[in-house]
Amino acid sequence: DSSPLQRLPCLDAGHFLHTGSQAPQNLAAHLDNQVPVESPRAVSRTSESDPAKHGEQHEGQHYNIPLQDLKAVFPHGLPPRFVMQVKTFNEACLMVRKPALELLHYLKNTNFAHPAVRYVLYGEKGTGKTLSLCHIIHFCAKQDWLILHIPDAHLWVKNCRNLLQSTYNKQRLDQPLEASIWLKNFKTANERFLSQIKVQEKYVWNKRESTEKGSPLGEVVEQGITRVRNATDAVGIVLKELKRQSSSGIFHLLVAVDGVNALWGRTTLKREDKSPIAPEELALIYNLRKMVKNDWHGGAIVLTLSQTGSVFKPRKAFLPQELLGKEGFDTLDPFIPILVSNYNPKEFESCIQYYLENNWLQHEKAHTEDGKKELLFLSNTNPGQLERLCAYL
Amino acid sequence: MAAAVFPAWLALQPGARTLRAFSTAVSPATRAPTPSPRTTERTSKYERPLRRKALPPRTEKMAVDQDWPSVYPVAAPFKPSVVPLPVRMGYPVKSGVPMAKEGNLELLKIPNFLHLTPVAIKKHCEALKEFCTEWPAALDNDEKCEKHFPVEIETADYVSAGPSVRNPKARVVTLRVKLSSLNLDDHAKKKLIKLVGERYCKTTDVLTIRTDRCPLKRQNYDYAVYLLTVLYHESWKTEEWEKNKTEADMEEYVWENSSSEKNILETLLQIKAAEKNLEVNKEELLGTKEVEDYRKSVVSLKNEGDNESTLSQYKESVKRLLNLT
Repeated sequence: DSSPLQRLPCLDAGHFLHTGSQAPQNLAAHLDNQVPVESPRAVSRTSESDPAKHGEQHEGQHYNIPLQDLKAVFPHGLPPRFVMQVKTFNEACLMVRKPALELLHYLKNTNFAHPAVRYVLYGEKGTGKTLSLCHIIHFCAKQDWLILHIPDAHLWVKNCRNLLQSTYNKQRLDQPLEASIWLKNFKTANERFLSQIKVQEKYVWNKRESTEKGSPLGEVVEQGITRVRNATDAVGIVLKELKRQSSSGIFHLLVAVDGVNALWGRTTLKREDKSPIAPEELALIYNLRKMVKNDWHGGAIVLTLSQTGSVFKPRKAFLPQELLGKEGFDTLDPFIPILVSNYNPKEFESCIQYYLENNWLQHEKAHTEDGKKELLFLSNTNPGQLERLCAYL
Repeated sequence: MAAAVFPAWLALQPGARTLRAFSTAVSPATRAPTPSPRTTERTSKYERPLRRKALPPRTEKMAVDQDWPSVYPVAAPFKPSVVPLPVRMGYPVKSGVPMAKEGNLELLKIPNFLHLTPVAIKKHCEALKEFCTEWPAALDNDEKCEKHFPVEIETADYVSAGPSVRNPKARVVTLRVKLSSLNLDDHAKKKLIKLVGERYCKTTDVLTIRTDRCPLKRQNYDYAVYLLTVLYHESWKTEEWEKNKTEADMEEYVWENSSSEKNILETLLQIKAAEKNLEVNKEELLGTKEVEDYRKSVVSLKNEGDNESTLSQYKESVKRLLNLT
């Protein structure tokens, strides 16, 4: 159902907050027969807030995600600048763009009996790969899939303190902090599934604690959150169980990893004797690699390549083979590469309109044609660059 | 007489100093004062060796159709009065032009080839012709030369006047050959390229062997020819240890037995299993057109690297393979 917030002709931010806190359903029926929006908003906004119904006609327009949905679906997934923007504007609007529409089309036609297909979003810095991924995640959440979202795989290969030797396998290393943070967010995102899915074997944590066969997955997650030492193993168990059980058809699984090139690169972590650690020696990375292979079915795998945050990769690298390396490419092969590029003129216009409506551009020349041309030239239609430029205006 | 010759400025001198002033007047700034006694010699300006006035430069008397090789028969420094060209050289000052050729050190510093104009070279060729033989009439284009004489030898001879005729630089011999003119199969070519390393140029397909380790030119030539022979024969042989060639040693991507093939095979098998279609075999699966397209796209992606066309080709082939619309 379309969000009622879009039908209101006034732009008062306070109003949004007020109506947003009430149940949207009551207002929907009563606002449905309101006058359609006037033309500047028609350029930059659409009232269709269900990603499943997004199509070519919505390309370039922003759709609104209700704020409580935001907290439920994206506890940890949004880029930090976008989170700031959401806080400032008091609304979360994502632009519907072609790469996301293409992916939505594929996902809608997924054959759940076939092995999971891997889609790789790649593109230059700041073109919108992470936000496209968020669009897809929102779609899958609305369709009631189980979302396995790793917001930034690069965080797991650099600047990790407290590496412990893994209790499960002596060769590998645990990352208790990262694992426990992720488990907390995973729990927030997928509350309802955690009681439905039952583990299929018994897991013994230590002498006193164990999880019996048939107990809900939520218990494993709890164990990981409370006993930080076992967090990495808990993550490993969650991944294993989900992979095994997605084929059974109880739920559809979406594996979304941002910065997947971190899995096959180098790490900046060193052991106490200063010898470097390879990615596969980290238990989290090892288990995640198993997750992105296509030997399971009942879902889809959407990945993003990212140079920002990557280690030991040149700044201009954005092509799949450059960032994934030989090993990564061979593991992900066959995948569908989807290019995310800079804004086309329509999208650029829509973005500027959105900023103008929210009174973000305070410069007096910002709404003139010359001002727009200047912004176009300075940002080279790169979404990230445009956002940074507009922050100064 | 002498008084009349007094330069005007000396008239300002006091009269008591006339004699000394007179003797100094005899020597203007350009000439050192002669230590002659002042009163006895009264050299006049007319008796002094006259300094010749500068004649006009020779360029003004040159005819346009003169014989230039006789002006500059050998390599000579640049003489501005002899070269009739209005050449300017040098870094200009602000709102100025480069310096003219008169007294220009820059033009002197650089090598000039005024002794090697086309006319001069024609004359040299004419003179050398009596020592040369005719070019064979049958070799009138490059392809024929390549076909009949695939190996090119380059040597340099040095002539100089000095105490010794020998020049150590003359022993260098360069042998160039195109690998397409050698009879090599795929394995032999790859092995030869690996053996010679830097000496092979991929864009022109030319192998260059430069030898100078022997003291004489003919020894170096023999050595270069020997190297070529040895390389040719060795590259045809296959050694025991060549079986251990790994994927990292391969020069180009080979799809057969690669991980990409394994992946696609597994994927296809799983798809077939999902559709309950269990009686398929490997060869059949790998022989379909989609897999063939996929193979081509992966090979081009790996060999040429990522660019728009290879990536879009790869995307299309994967989509067709996995039956995505």
